[in-house]
Amino acid sequence: MGLDRRGFVKIVVGGVAGTLFTPVIWKSLDDVSIWSQNWPWIPRLNKGEVKAKAALSKLCPAGCAVKVKTVGGLPFAVAGNTANPMSKGGVCPVCAAGAQLMYSPARVKSPLKKVGEGKFEAIKWEDAEALLVEKLTALKGQNGKIAAINGDETGTAGEVISGLLAGLGNSGYYMMPGEKFVAEKGVKLMGGSGQPGFDIAGADLVLMIGADALDSWGATVANQKAFAATRPTGAAATAKFVYAGPVLNHTAAVSDKFLPVPPQATVAFALGLANLLINDGAVSSASDFSEYKALAAKYTAEEVEKATGLKAENMKELAAMIKAAKAPVVIAGASFGQGGGALDFVAGASLNVLLGRVGSGMTLLPSAPKAVAGVSASDKDAGSFLADVATGKAAPGALIVYEANPAYALPQADDMAKTLGNIAFKVSFSTYMDETAALCDLILPAPHPYERFDDALNPYGVAKSTYLAGKPVVKKPVMDCKDPVDVLLGAATKLGLSLGFDTYADVISAKAKALGADLDALTAGGIWTGDAKGGSLNLGASALAKAAVVKTDDKTLAVAPVSNLAFGTATLATPPANLLAIRETELVGKELLVQMNAATAKKAGVAEGAKVKLSAGKGELKARVHLNEGVAPGTVAVLLGFGRSAWDEYTKGKGDNVYKILTVSDEAGTGLKVWAGSTVTVAKV
Amino acid sequence: MKAKEFKVTWGMVIDLDKCTGCGACMTACQVENNIAPMVDASNKMRTLSWMLVYELSNKKSGAEAEVAYLPRPCMQCGNPACVPVCPVIATDKNEEGGIVSQVYPRCIGCRYCMAACPYHARYFNWEDPIFPKGMEKALSPNTSARPRGVVEKCNFCHTRFMQAKDKARQDGGDPEALADGAYMPACAEICPTGAISFGDVKNKEHKVFDLAQGKDAFRLLEKLGLNPQVYYVSKREWVRKLGDNYAATGKPGAAKKHS
Amino acid sequence: MDQKLQERWGEVMEEKKQCKGCGGALPFLIGFVAALIAGWVLFPNLLYSKKVQPIRFSHKIHQEQGMECASCHVFRDDGSYAGLPKNEKCQECHADVVGSDPAEKIYVEQYAQKDKEVPWLVYQYQPDNVFFSHKAHESFECKECHLEVGKMDTPPVYYENRLSGYSKQTMKMWQCERCHAENGVSNACHVCHK
Repeated sequence: MGLDRRGFVKIVVGGVAGTLFTPVIWKSLDDVSIWSQNWPWIPRLNKGEVKAKAALSKLCPAGCAVKVKTVGGLPFAVAGNTANPMSKGGVCPVCAAGAQLMYSPARVKSPLKKVGEGKFEAIKWEDAEALLVEKLTALKGQNGKIAAINGDETGTAGEVISGLLAGLGNSGYYMMPGEKFVAEKGVKLMGGSGQPGFDIAGADLVLMIGADALDSWGATVANQKAFAATRPTGAAATAKFVYAGPVLNHTAAVSDKFLPVPPQATVAFALGLANLLINDGAVSSASDFSEYKALAAKYTAEEVEKATGLKAENMKELAAMIKAAKAPVVIAGASFGQGGGALDFVAGASLNVLLGRVGSGMTLLPSAPKAVAGVSASDKDAGSFLADVATGKAAPGALIVYEANPAYALPQADDMAKTLGNIAFKVSFSTYMDETAALCDLILPAPHPYERFDDALNPYGVAKSTYLAGKPVVKKPVMDCKDPVDVLLGAATKLGLSLGFDTYADVISAKAKALGADLDALTAGGIWTGDAKGGSLNLGASALAKAAVVKTDDKTLAVAPVSNLAFGTATLATPPANLLAIRETELVGKELLVQMNAATAKKAGVAEGAKVKLSAGKGELKARVHLNEGVAPGTVAVLLGFGRSAWDEYTKGKGDNVYKILTVSDEAGTGLKVWAGSTVTVAKV
Repeated sequence: MKAKEFKVTWGMVIDLDKCTGCGACMTACQVENNIAPMVDASNKMRTLSWMLVYELSNKKSGAEAEVAYLPRPCMQCGNPACVPVCPVIATDKNEEGGIVSQVYPRCIGCRYCMAACPYHARYFNWEDPIFPKGMEKALSPNTSARPRGVVEKCNFCHTRFMQAKDKARQDGGDPEALADGAYMPACAEICPTGAISFGDVKNKEHKVFDLAQGKDAFRLLEKLGLNPQVYYVSKREWVRKLGDNYAATGKPGAAKKHS
Repeated sequence: MDQKLQERWGEVMEEKKQCKGCGGALPFLIGFVAALIAGWVLFPNLLYSKKVQPIRFSHKIHQEQGMECASCHVFRDDGSYAGLPKNEKCQECHADVVGSDPAEKIYVEQYAQKDKEVPWLVYQYQPDNVFFSHKAHESFECKECHLEVGKMDTPPVYYENRLSGYSKQTMKMWQCERCHAENGVSNACHVCHK
């Protein structure tokens, strides 16, 4: 019997009927639907035991004890360390993204040597270290030829760098500008010495003049925890917080009172307040009280209103609040963590002296024992040093940059970058390809904070001597990097110096021992604290008398850079996970929005959404205008952290860098370089 | 349709007088839930911000100006608008605890739920999740990665709820009666000022029980009757008025007790 | 001519009528049975690829050493389950070669000493969107869901579904739901999905 068409059809129909009695169709459909949801490029989760390991997170300048959560040994999240008395389980928005930053596309993957304009070649560590030693050997012993810029205020690495330089016969060790540097100068002008500290937790009224204590000033998380403790939800607050500064920022948002004070009017505000307090009966036993009293009397209500725009009743209300408080503390600082004048600090700190709060609300920290010999503190900051290089006053042949970004985060940034570029040999120890690293001749990748040993001594603002230390959370770093201090110690040996240590871990061990701290307890997330030292301060009247009155006109505006910690710091561009926190009133596409209030905009002749160009010195910044009634009169507020020209696609080319339009001037009477009161001209584009 | 009743009702109380708008909660949420970073995150129609911090203003100027920040997770409504509209029941409110579930393999991406939600708490995956090379090693084990074409939303870090129940079982406790603080979503855990409190609003031993009934507590869009499980607290009247302008009750006062 | 045609036509119809009984249903039956065989025998062979575990691990030998299930498969302090042990556990005894089996030698040299975890194939593989808690199921016998490898000398063959990537033993949703329903446990979506 042959197979004819009918038979064939019957076979097929039988096949189909039979298939319905098998799992073929149902299983295939089910499996295909699963296959269509499991494309190979959809990432798979990591499995394993979940552990929480203690670490010291130094992604922001303060440094916090945190717990890094790992799954199967791989870090994936950061939570707070509730047992640490300083961070008390808190985490800031930058450290919240800390685990993901270990895989940031901007990380330097291996040592890099510059081979052309913007071109780098990966080299081996032995070759990189040999090159470093070669360059330093050539300039050894010639003072002024080797310089270093350090961006890490709290790590003992600074001692190693300073000691290395000293051993090579150079004194050119400079810190990136920060609050501490200015504050210590301020304290000196008040007849004292040392790093000042502020006890927020023990105060019942905290007046912050400029200092953005709940977002970017000092030990932010510790400050936030102190604030939180005074505000139990659903119950009455036990302390008052007042913020007086150029912008209604995150700190001002939760403060009981916001007083708009333009950046150049801090001294007028503080002395005007002092005047009211003195008239109300405040007396100080400081030696220069009568001088101070006469000086404050010049800042009448009218003068204060002229300088700040604040009405008399606002000032009177504040004075009454302070008088009623039993434990007030006044914290003065630049609103963006640098560039403030010593006189701004003195004006604010003098209120603490007037109120008799030195030794309680405001403290002075004793100097700590050093772990490395030959260490010296520098008298200039990195900005002043580079300004000298630009004018030819300083002519280094080699520059070491440690965890700092001077090409981005110094006033007149473009100029600074140019000056840096002209130095013959530059080496950057950086975790990320930042603007400075992109200019350097040699990049030596540093491990991420969770991949290395590190420590933090006296983060600025702490009321007592404080020491934290951390150890790596993973067996080896994600990238081919080496601890920078280990590299420098190795180089020191090859240069014939004996700094006394082989690794950074050894240095930290010695530092802990010198302080009398238990290193194991510290690396497990603990803390060491010591007492503040005693000492009195005067009111700084003679210095304050020299304070200049800054005049602004309708054509120039004061620029107030605003720090929002979630958007990164000078050394860290916005972590990719934080990009969505940037508002539509701050950045749209690639355009930055600068903020000013309606009255200021009208005077400047611009409206909401207008394209403008802000210029000062040699720098200019392009942006659009957004009207924001929380900005002080005559001021334009500009967010920090934008206008990155290196890093990665997440942050490069978005907005513009406000550091470009900050101009440096000499503070009257102190010789300090200041830029917190910079002015800019606004032009429509 | 009568809303389901649960013995345990997970809720949040967010103190708007303590929220500094720092954004740590937004970052913690992104990290815990494996949300891929977006290159252009300024396009707010495309960002996946399960937890989103809004900026509120009292529209005054100078020394009178005030700003408040309002973190908004999914409200896990007692009477959700999104559940009845889902054609495939990818979202449902059927688990003890009252967390509205969103099952990614079942979602067909029609986005009816997004249209229904008045809080804009639901987000659509316009693209597959692309992590920078290597960052897949930093994924959290707590949330699956979603392909493009599905809707996602905050689920009060539900996996942590399951893990808290396991820990309770391991310790010999009752997984159906967790202690206050045994289960905390990532945002509540990380908030540096402790503005976000979390717990069982029906359990007298959890602090949110009292906080939710405080005189300054309010809920957003109370008048819609969705019975959200997220309460806000503020001593400032202008902030409370922004909840829904007192339309629900006509006068200021505490939100209705959670039924 | 017509008559011849008619005769021939009749003959053909007769032929057809004769085979109707078998010629009619037979192709259908052939197709039906062929489909059944293809569906039940060939299809699984096509769909599943056979794989072997990277190390020929013998539970039997370890049991003979006096070890119990809980020696390696334990609940951790936080209530999570350490399903397949990591090198850390194996190296408690096998940091160096302690026996004579060549499989052990492979493990020690290729994995333990190179600090590389063994990529075990998980018979009860579940995809990322499933949350399963062993702690909640503690009262059940392991063998109610898992293959009884405890008594085996060689690990069973691992059948991997070529389309979905799952294992043949991967429990599908209906199996979990049925048992939950029988035991009065919630079948809410979030109980198992993450």
